[in-house]
Amino acid sequence: MAVRREKAERLADEELMPLVGRKDPEAFEVLYDRHGGAAYSLAYRIVGDRAAAEEVTQEAFISVWRSGARFDAARGSVRSWLLSVVRNRAIDFLRSRAGKAPKLTFDDDAALEARPAEERTEDEALRRETAAELRGALGKLPGEQSKVIELAYFGGFSHSEISRILGLPMGTVKGRMRLGLEKIRGELAEGLA
Amino acid sequence: MNAPDHNRWSEDLAAYLLGALERDEAAELERHLEGCERCQEEMRWLEPAVQLLPESVERAEPPSRLRQTLMAEVREDVREAKERPAPARGWRWLLKPAAGIAVVALLVAGVVGYEVGKDGSGGENGGASTVVRQVDGLTVKMVQEGSAGTLQIEGLKPLPSDKVLEAWVEREGEVEAVPALFVPDRHGHAEATIADMTGVETVMVTEEPPGGSEAPTGEPIMSMKVPA
Repeated sequence: MAVRREKAERLADEELMPLVGRKDPEAFEVLYDRHGGAAYSLAYRIVGDRAAAEEVTQEAFISVWRSGARFDAARGSVRSWLLSVVRNRAIDFLRSRAGKAPKLTFDDDAALEARPAEERTEDEALRRETAAELRGALGKLPGEQSKVIELAYFGGFSHSEISRILGLPMGTVKGRMRLGLEKIRGELAEGLA
Repeated sequence: MNAPDHNRWSEDLAAYLLGALERDEAAELERHLEGCERCQEEMRWLEPAVQLLPESVERAEPPSRLRQTLMAEVREDVREAKERPAPARGWRWLLKPAAGIAVVALLVAGVVGYEVGKDGSGGENGGASTVVRQVDGLTVKMVQEGSAGTLQIEGLKPLPSDKVLEAWVEREGEVEAVPALFVPDRHGHAEATIADMTGVETVMVTEEPPGGSEAPTGEPIMSMKVPA
């Protein structure tokens, strides 16, 4: 039975999810109204194209609608979960679009060596990153740390791909990721982020 | 308990949370995580930093047609579901011997579950009724709101990788599958939605192969009588 829109609006996200699992369109609509903007913004940040961002956001929300019961409150908020679904869809979209491009594998060392590391970095980063700057806690990080985090989270690159793009040892890439996240987390804990 | 190679895996946690490990590396780390409390703790500490990343994105306004298209698809799903014929109920599948034995076990366990759980707490709140019982060594919470219900189970052991949990309901002497498969999280919590609780007398859960089964293939890990 569908709850009325007004009732759904009074419910917390965690209370809406069981209703979405029972295929209540009003509950789902409220969920979209609350988080659709952030979801679309994230999709746009990753895919860099409005039409593609629209497609990714729609696919992500439809997957939530059709499998709403998969949300696990023990692992975080509904919003975080929703945005992780959007992020995964957007990265899948990027990878499918890049299907025709040379894949960054160990077999491609020769092609990579033909261009300086700096140039590869800029090409790859620009292709996958369209928003001007990160804000908030990420923006406060040293550039070397925010770069590896951006390439991983918003670009969908693995640590080994990033090490090749930036011309750094894999251990350095993983270390910078760790340091960056620890700094963001530290700021969160202090309530500054 | 901390696994002896904690330090080695600890270095990979940030890359894992950022989705930057290769699939096989991530799977290996997940196996390590199951037995390493320090890594679990570190991951819980770092996780909010990753959750902040999508919030740091500059806001872009979605086109209004996105909402319209989305809701049109959702309402079409609802319309199609209403038009779809209800799954046939009956006892015919019980003619299979294994399934017959399993369902007898389910029903017997249902009674046991009720007896074990009759001291459990229950209550009503804003039109929703909640029953909490200790059943078969598990804490089972059944929340009913209107005709729908949510089954929440605590204290579950990790499942083998080739098993999922499947919920069943018994009403008017017939046992039928609930169309939702679920697995416990790392805290032993699992939850399933039962869309239609009308006339349900017993709720049961069995371990089934991935994809679920048409009839229970083994004894229930939990069975609970639902108060009328």
